[in-house]
Amino acid sequence: MINSEVRKKMVIIKDLVKSYGEHRVLNGFNMELYEGETLVIMGKSGSGKSVMIKCLIGLESHDSGTITIMNKNLDKMDADTLNEIRTEVGFLFQGSALYDSMSVRENLEFPLRRHIGKFGELDDATPLVMEALESVGLPQTIELMPEELSGGMKRRIALARTLILKPKIILYDEPTTGLDPITSKEIVLLMKSIQDKYKTSSIVITHDVDCARFIADRMILLIDGINYITGTFAELSKSDDPKVSAFFKT
Amino acid sequence: MDKSLNKVLKLGIFIIVGTILFIAGVYFIGEKQNMFGNTYNIYAVFNNINGLKPGNNVRYSGINVGTVKEIVMVSDTVIVVKIAIVKEITKHIKTDAKCAITSDGLVGSMIINILPGHKSEMNIAKGDTIRSFTRIRTEEMLQTLSVTNENAALLTGELLAITKEISAGKGIVGSMLKDTLLTKDLREIVHHLKITSKASSSTINQLNKILTSIDKKDNLVGMLRDTSVANKVKNIITNVEKSSRELDKVIDHLDLTIHNANQTITNVKDGKGAINYLSNDPSLVTKIDQTIGHLDSTVIQINNAGEKLNENLEALKNTWLLRKYFKNQEKEKEGN
Amino acid sequence: MYLYVTTSGLNSFFIETGELANFALRFFKEVFKRPFEFKEFLRQCYNMGNRSLLLVGVTGFIIGLVFTLQSRPKMIELGAVAWLPSMVSISIIREIGPIITALICAGRIGSGIGAELGAMRVTEQIDAMDVSGTNPFKFLVVTRILATTLMIPILVIMSDAVALFGSFLIENFKGDVSFTLYFDEVFRALTYSDLIPSTIKTFFFGFAIGLVGCYKGYYCKHGTAGVGLTANAAVVEASMVVFIIDFASVLITDIFYSI
Repeated sequence: MINSEVRKKMVIIKDLVKSYGEHRVLNGFNMELYEGETLVIMGKSGSGKSVMIKCLIGLESHDSGTITIMNKNLDKMDADTLNEIRTEVGFLFQGSALYDSMSVRENLEFPLRRHIGKFGELDDATPLVMEALESVGLPQTIELMPEELSGGMKRRIALARTLILKPKIILYDEPTTGLDPITSKEIVLLMKSIQDKYKTSSIVITHDVDCARFIADRMILLIDGINYITGTFAELSKSDDPKVSAFFKT
Repeated sequence: MDKSLNKVLKLGIFIIVGTILFIAGVYFIGEKQNMFGNTYNIYAVFNNINGLKPGNNVRYSGINVGTVKEIVMVSDTVIVVKIAIVKEITKHIKTDAKCAITSDGLVGSMIINILPGHKSEMNIAKGDTIRSFTRIRTEEMLQTLSVTNENAALLTGELLAITKEISAGKGIVGSMLKDTLLTKDLREIVHHLKITSKASSSTINQLNKILTSIDKKDNLVGMLRDTSVANKVKNIITNVEKSSRELDKVIDHLDLTIHNANQTITNVKDGKGAINYLSNDPSLVTKIDQTIGHLDSTVIQINNAGEKLNENLEALKNTWLLRKYFKNQEKEKEGN
Repeated sequence: MYLYVTTSGLNSFFIETGELANFALRFFKEVFKRPFEFKEFLRQCYNMGNRSLLLVGVTGFIIGLVFTLQSRPKMIELGAVAWLPSMVSISIIREIGPIITALICAGRIGSGIGAELGAMRVTEQIDAMDVSGTNPFKFLVVTRILATTLMIPILVIMSDAVALFGSFLIENFKGDVSFTLYFDEVFRALTYSDLIPSTIKTFFFGFAIGLVGCYKGYYCKHGTAGVGLTANAAVVEASMVVFIIDFASVLITDIFYSI
């Protein structure tokens, strides 16, 4: 814990409030992400985890509170700065969100279109695409269409697409939802290996306890729109609080 | 990469074909309106263009040679029509060509029809104005026809009234037809005339006899040398001749009048419209009145003439020169 | 209750109209901003143009055939069979060609766009694009609206041509009218006041179909079930807007061409 004090803060969220009409989803949520750590945020369905992460990347606007990503305030960003930040932040969507009308190659090339500056002039993206595909173990799928892939493969391709920009922060939105336990395990292992390989900082949103146990450096339980409790998996799983222990009962 | 190139190629073909079709459409429509190619502008002036519009066809001897470009109203009765004519055609159109606005078929759009000229040797040139004339259009024809119809209706109405009046016995013709007294009078007049003429002819015969007897009798010759007597006799004879000539004339007139009257009557009987119609003419009525008046006066004159003749004859009898002759005659009568 | 339903219905209609106008405004703002997604634009043009050609062509051909066959007996009765080419051409160029093609495209392209964007929205593909630094509005919406705006006029022209050809075939079979004579009659009857306004309005048809389809898809809600509803609504609204534009264009044309 002392260690974390000196470590660089990648993301700081302070008093985040977000409402949909009368329904207040986030009610003063606080969070910090340190460089190189994997933070797991757990919560029930509809507790506002996804909303929080979308606010973080600027897909949803929040009502009040501040979000700072790598020392830049999200509220004061224009579209260009936001895009710049987004180059540094990878996002793995819940349903993979591969572009159906494009092949795997085109899917992976897509994020490069706008971020060519980062890699200089880019005539042929194939080496980058292959590198990303190899890091998820699916180099043979390069010319396939998303509809020809299984759910697990899609998830991996989506991960490859996130990795292709070599982001400093990766946000995982329910990475194991809709997958069978074995595939889930594969994905989690892949996440872990990527974490080690690229030294990224990650926020993982999940309600999958196995996933959390395996990957989490630190955990936050999001209950009633606030950061209810923070700690390591071991600390939280031993908690006496019924609201907390409910998550760890199987 | 090959696949996407193929798609782009197909898209290119698609777009080019579409564009070509559109341009072809634009071109053909323009060509039909003579928008391309060499055209000359000529002008024609009308006072009524009967709904002609820019873009309407212009025909010369039945061939489409141009289109109406512009229509400008210069004043309330002058409308100038600008016509674009194909250049090649202008060498066939003479300066005395005429144009008219007609309709293309019974309900078709309006066209300008240029009719060839004959006398002029000159061809029309750019900017010329060709003469125009207004053709009677169906509408105008119908309009005239409707006026005629109205008139005809009026006429028949009046004719009906006239025939009604005639059959009711009004007016001269009517009375001629209906009034039996008048015809009787007329017949009587004629009858009297006949008698009178007979009488006068017998008188003349007698005169002739007297004259021949005067010629024959020797005793009278000496007497006739007396100029005053001779003059008197001459006068008497000329008077008689005059009277008889007048009588002849009167009889001729009478014949004519009777003939005319007969004809009139038969015509009226036959119901010939014109005369019925004309019978309304008051002047005719007065004329017929006059004629009858003349007839009367003529008869009176004839009577007078007969009387005068009798008087003359009486005077002749009393003349001492002829007394002997008359006495001899009486004696002869007695002797007979 | 009744009043509430009516006002809320009316309100939602106005809100919808306002949002659609906003969407159109956003399109005009974005369309001139660089970069232009040229490749995607071409891809959409191919999808909408070439892939609709068969459908539009067949429909146009049948319309030409049927229209001529249906009018022929009446024209013969009137003794005006020689006018059939001019009548058919004016009706096809002015109204039937554009409106039929636009409705078919509203069905095929409008629903396609609505469903595609709707699906992309509910599976977070649009968000993914946003996150990966590509403006999804430019990439998805601007290209599609431009593609429909440019492709539908071409489709209409082709449909017109095919319909006239169909009409010619009937005239040729039944009336012994030669190709030259038929098309001579056709172009004699047509004027620029027939062709130009009806071509201009097809651009608006295309714009409307693209706009409504994109708007419906881009703001698709309620998950996968919503995609079907979106596609349906896109077709219905696009067809309605097409008719409204058609009506407006006739009014405007009337003003410009009435002397």
